[in-house]
Amino acid sequence: MTKKVQLFITCLGENFFSPVLRDMVTVLERLGLQCEMPEGQTCCGQPFYNSGLQSQTVGPARQWLKVFAPTEGYIVAPSGSCAEFVRHRYPELFPPGTPEHAAAEDIAGRTFEFSEFLTKVLGATDVGARFPHKVTYHASCHILRGLGLREEPKRLLQAVRGLELIPLPEEETCCGFGGIFSVIYPEVSRAMMDAKVRHIMASGAEVVVVGEPGCLMNIAGGLHKAGSPIRPMHLIQVLAAQE
Amino acid sequence: MSRDTILADVRTALGRAAGAAPPPVPAAARVPPRQPGDPAAELALLLAEIKKVAGKTQVLQEGELAAALAGLVQAEEIKKATCWQTPELQALGVERLLADLGVEIVSPYADKEALAACDLGVTGVDAALPETGTLLLRGGADRPRPVSLLPRVHLALLRPEALRADLGPAFAEVKGPGYFVCVTGPSRTADIELTVTIGVHGPQALYVWVLPAR
Amino acid sequence: MSEIPTHIDFRANVQAVRPEMPASVQKATARFLGTRANVVGELGEARWQQLRQAGHDIRLHTLEHLDGYLALLEQRVTEAGGHVHWARDAAEANRIVLEIAARHGVKRAVKAKSMATEEIGLNHALAEAGISVLETDLGEFIIQLAGVGPSHIIVPAVHLTKEGIARLFTEKLGVDAPADPFALAAIARRTLRQAFLEADMGISGANFLVAETGTLVIVSNEGNGRMCTTLPRLHVAVVGIDKVVPDMESLNVLLKLLPRSATGQKMSCYISFITGPRGSDGEGGPQEFHLVLLDNGRTRILQDEIARQTLLCIRCGVCLNVCPVYNHVGGHAYGFAYSGPIGAILSPQLLGGKVAGDLPFASSLCGACAEYCPVKIPIPEILIQLRRRVVEGDRVEGPSAPPVIRVAAGVGGLAFRLPWLYEFGTQVLKVAQAPLRRDGWLPALPPPVNRWTLARPFPAFAADFRQWWRSRTPAGRRKMQQRRIGAVALIAAAVGLLSWLLGRRGRQ
Repeated sequence: MTKKVQLFITCLGENFFSPVLRDMVTVLERLGLQCEMPEGQTCCGQPFYNSGLQSQTVGPARQWLKVFAPTEGYIVAPSGSCAEFVRHRYPELFPPGTPEHAAAEDIAGRTFEFSEFLTKVLGATDVGARFPHKVTYHASCHILRGLGLREEPKRLLQAVRGLELIPLPEEETCCGFGGIFSVIYPEVSRAMMDAKVRHIMASGAEVVVVGEPGCLMNIAGGLHKAGSPIRPMHLIQVLAAQE
Repeated sequence: MSRDTILADVRTALGRAAGAAPPPVPAAARVPPRQPGDPAAELALLLAEIKKVAGKTQVLQEGELAAALAGLVQAEEIKKATCWQTPELQALGVERLLADLGVEIVSPYADKEALAACDLGVTGVDAALPETGTLLLRGGADRPRPVSLLPRVHLALLRPEALRADLGPAFAEVKGPGYFVCVTGPSRTADIELTVTIGVHGPQALYVWVLPAR
Repeated sequence: MSEIPTHIDFRANVQAVRPEMPASVQKATARFLGTRANVVGELGEARWQQLRQAGHDIRLHTLEHLDGYLALLEQRVTEAGGHVHWARDAAEANRIVLEIAARHGVKRAVKAKSMATEEIGLNHALAEAGISVLETDLGEFIIQLAGVGPSHIIVPAVHLTKEGIARLFTEKLGVDAPADPFALAAIARRTLRQAFLEADMGISGANFLVAETGTLVIVSNEGNGRMCTTLPRLHVAVVGIDKVVPDMESLNVLLKLLPRSATGQKMSCYISFITGPRGSDGEGGPQEFHLVLLDNGRTRILQDEIARQTLLCIRCGVCLNVCPVYNHVGGHAYGFAYSGPIGAILSPQLLGGKVAGDLPFASSLCGACAEYCPVKIPIPEILIQLRRRVVEGDRVEGPSAPPVIRVAAGVGGLAFRLPWLYEFGTQVLKVAQAPLRRDGWLPALPPPVNRWTLARPFPAFAADFRQWWRSRTPAGRRKMQQRRIGAVALIAAAVGLLSWLLGRRGRQ
């Protein structure tokens, strides 16, 4: 395989986390990879699928496949849920017999979440980062359970120079985002978010690191509302840092 | 008939034709039974596990049964007792030993009110499972069910030969028509604020005494 | 005792949760998860995963051949002298039990804990027929006095404090009840002991039904299960058809999974193995044994290959313990006998989308339940399938959500299918948000998405990555130029069209 990476920027990444996307390019180029960004990408369709709108998912998914199928190299996203959706669901949405099936299978074999790509494909844990701060890590559900990445993100953080990794109580408990869940049942979502924010604030960390844009939106909003000085950051931003 | 409707609905849901007997359970759905240690270790494990669940244990040598019963009668203030009528318990002379201690013997075939008034129920043990400290007691004409259930103290007399490695092997021996019960410690609940309370509806105390092997 | 609901409004139920309730629920769930961790740790991870897979396989195998196993079960129970009845729905099950009770002149019944009897509202039916039914599981006894349904599968009264229970006993039992768990349990023992001895009928469910031998398996800690099924002369068991297991060997696996997952015990205090009525008069035990096999929607659940795995459930309650949603709202919010993740998938399938369509959405899809489930039910997978059933409908049931959702989604989906429209949208939002924007945040959003901002601010729209990316290469910069021209042209055309239309209206 060529050392090319197709940037899967994701709808949340594009609209709310531009700096994270720029940092993703920085880190990948630092590791000697050539980045490309397929222009026609929009959204992989996950929000529709998880909301029960499976028939509405096919259109966006088809568009996504049309854009990414002709590309070469690895497809990397700053999100576990998006990568997992493409890998796991696209072959189901386009089963054998459909014209898109071959493309879906091919894509599934080369789409990765960022920390997964670094540790499992490149075999890299040290990416030359320096970030001398006290950091705690929230384990996003799709990264942890969907992709089975329990230790990998933390190994990447531990390899960052000067970084002190502090354990987060209830690290693996959901932050309450859950996509539409946060909008359908706001009281429960808030209770879950408040609990997560309380744990973060009690951890003694200066920075909370999250690997998932959805969680990051939720936790960042919660910390802001709580008036906390703790900085919410995406894992990629820490890995790009050279402070 | 509802029976036919339900079975037909099951078959339709599964997309199956009528009346096939189920194939054997796939091998992957079985797990190998626990491997036992040596008999002495197994016995020690059994007694340790029984103690963990608030049971009380004693190992008796030949001829120590009478004294042990005397101790129990005094400690638990036993006034009335009822016993299994198995050949083994009769051979041990449990009822006579208790009567000698001034305990009133109530027939296990008496009515439930009389049995409920008993302080002590004495049984044997058909199988014992060391991993969890579990006693398996069969039902039958000579071993009425209420004996291990109604009195507030349950005394189970165990021979080491009754130990089995695991549930699977134990079930293979006892399965078939006929009631049996697995008993692990005295009764308990945690329904009130999760505070564990020993002794709810079943016996409040369980004594397990190991007799010498036959 | 739960009522059978006509509509479950999850959000309203959540808003009605008393503020002190989540803390008592979390205390219970944390305790169970702690004890569970000890006993699972003792087995070792490899052995535990081996047991989970075997448990899953046994249960799935049984479901896939359920007709054969049910027929075998009926044969064996009948051979052992028991009577087997089949009930298509709750009404029929209640009718059968009432007929049996009437034939025996039953006035007083004692009942061991049974989710199936909660599901069909048996207590109401018996009460209406003038039969007094006493719940004998301590937690069920307490909530029966309180007149509410269970808030947790394993500890139904976990939402109550000892003070609350003491007040309840004092008021309803006419005794002087101190706020001490030991004293309260002793009061329950005294009260119920007489009831056990006097009852005409014992009612139970079952944890498992063994087809090979026709055996009912009842797992309990208090001994009330044994009392109900030993002392009265008549024993009636109401059991879902999904409780069948092939043989006694299967229990070797399932009885290692259930107590550890439910309460963190290696083995529950009592496991009764009941095959028909008593073998002889001297043995003690019921003279007559009736098994009522309950469908009540289970055959319909079997229809869907994914959703049918709901029926693998062995009712351990661990999914409740580990669910963050359950831990913040408790059991009553789910509106029916089954709560937590299993409730979110079982109730909609038993009650239908119109009644319980809220429940598949009462989850953040975090997946913790599936990680802990001892029989590996893919709960998040089933939740998504049921969401689809509610919104779009599937082979089993038509949609129950309002059609406007599908229409709105179709319109929204257009933006994701047309990249130029999507990109245009990302830039429009940056401009349109201006009145709502405070620094990098939107503290308030318009309805319906104001539900987000009820809890926390929304981040400001800030899409500029494509511009940054394109500015790095000449080809990219050219593309940017094209996009700008295109956008200007689009806006000019829109303005021109608008002016023309307004001009026309002005002239009319």
